Amino acid sequence: MKTNKRKTPKVLKKTAKDSEVNVKVNKGAPQNANLKPTPARIFIIGESPMVEQYAVLCAQHGYDVYISWNQKPTQKPEFKCDGIKITNIIPKNTSLVIELTNIDFLAKKKNLERFDKVLADTAPILSSSITLTATEQSSWILGRHRLVGISALPTLIQKPLVEIAPTIYSPKETLEVAKLFFQSIGKEIEIVQDRIGMVLPRMLCRIINEAAFAITEDIALPQDIDKVLKLGVNFSLGPIEWAEQIGLKQVYAVLKALHTDLQEERYRISPLLKQMAFTRG
Amino acid sequence: MFKQLGIVGTGAMGTGIAQLAVLSKIDVQLYDVNDTLLRRSTVRINANLRKMVSLGKLSQEEVQASMDRIRTRTSLPDLSHCDLIIESAIEDIRVKKDIFKHLDANTKSTTILASTTSSLSITSIGAHTRNPERIAGVHFFNPIETSALVEVVKGYKTSNQTIEKIIELVNLLGKTFIVVKDTPGFIANRVSQPLFGEALRLLGENVANAEQIDRIVKIIGGFPAGPFESMDQFGIDATLAEAQSLFEQSYGEPRFRPHPILKQMVESGWLGRKTSKGFFSYEKTNDK
Repeated sequence: MKTNKRKTPKVLKKTAKDSEVNVKVNKGAPQNANLKPTPARIFIIGESPMVEQYAVLCAQHGYDVYISWNQKPTQKPEFKCDGIKITNIIPKNTSLVIELTNIDFLAKKKNLERFDKVLADTAPILSSSITLTATEQSSWILGRHRLVGISALPTLIQKPLVEIAPTIYSPKETLEVAKLFFQSIGKEIEIVQDRIGMVLPRMLCRIINEAAFAITEDIALPQDIDKVLKLGVNFSLGPIEWAEQIGLKQVYAVLKALHTDLQEERYRISPLLKQMAFTRG
Repeated sequence: MFKQLGIVGTGAMGTGIAQLAVLSKIDVQLYDVNDTLLRRSTVRINANLRKMVSLGKLSQEEVQASMDRIRTRTSLPDLSHCDLIIESAIEDIRVKKDIFKHLDANTKSTTILASTTSSLSITSIGAHTRNPERIAGVHFFNPIETSALVEVVKGYKTSNQTIEKIIELVNLLGKTFIVVKDTPGFIANRVSQPLFGEALRLLGENVANAEQIDRIVKIIGGFPAGPFESMDQFGIDATLAEAQSLFEQSYGEPRFRPHPILKQMVESGWLGRKTSKGFFSYEKTNDK
């Protein structure tokens, strides 16, 4: 029986430069120059369309990408780039996994437990932690040292910055590998505290929620709400546009998690938003 | 067509509206309590128009013609022959009610009376006037010269005819309008409130610091400015006043509760750029 002992794998005690984790750094050659260069293998699982968006980005930056979903999308996605394989099995020699589940906590737990059993000790787990803290997720697995929380919502990975949240178990080496990974796909990181909603998802979902209340109260037409926020307050997108981009099911999941976590009336969810999340998603 | 537009108050908003109006060839009766304030306002308008000349956007003749359209007044009854009067005094319900009471007594029942309030109830401002159907809100955004939008606010008793007249003026001023219901914060301030409210909560809970939050909001969210630099620009005192107004008018809706940080900063005199210290420091370093 495995003991529930925190251990930092030897490879993670080395500096990032010496790391045997074959993470492609700024499109450079793998760190061990004696081996024939091979693309690092990444496994991505979770919810559509985040899985597809991460997959395309990683494949474009030269990774060997394997993907799966908790629930297959109704339409099979067509990828315009090579290097993405659909599989239910976590492939051998997976260097890094990305878990992108915000809604189905049971599926998330199953995924993390699978990673814990199958993956090498050196493989980091980057897991979306906007509806469940990374620390709570870490409590489900023995290899707690390798899980780092990330802020993941549809389309956010297309921006040049990613919020990441270390857990109380994360050694600095795990964070360094996470940073190197994101840099290798052209992103910088911002380290924030491990809290539900992190920074931007929390703010955006509250704005969308407030717009839903305003629509319910007939204050203005939905299309006018976007117009006001963009022309009057210089939002890049209006709240309705943000909701369409993120998906109401995701927005609802974040708001529900905030309401449960903080137990405040402030975070109560608009009934209209809840209804639309379940009927239109 | 508007023959005369009355403007009450020569703060940034009132002066800005006057400038827009004269550039749109509307005659303006500009009111404030004393000549010093009025002179300051017309000097500012003149300076702005001269700047437009240097940028090739206006001719000298147009500057002169525009300034000739402004008449300054220190007595409210002098505005009695205006077709439409815009009140742009300080954001205080008692002051606004008092102004509207005087305007109500000294204007024709067909004169449209509008307030630029961003947070107070139009229905409340116009209550106890003889003809509340002629009272509406016309919420401009800062900076008024470049901001495209106006929220046209329909009070409980505001007539459709009044709204149509306001829309006519807004179109003449070259702005886009949205008609909104008279509710706390209307649309813009209410729906954008979580951007600032949650930013303050995140700061207070040490999830991230102000620089980080601003950076995340700008780079990932695509906003032109972060919430903390925006609050510093707008003024922490003005931010608190608006937040307080929204909270009170909604009878204590928890979503709108102001954060204690704002009150502490105002009491410490840290009001943002105007005091060189807010969430960020703007103190100039002495060059040696």
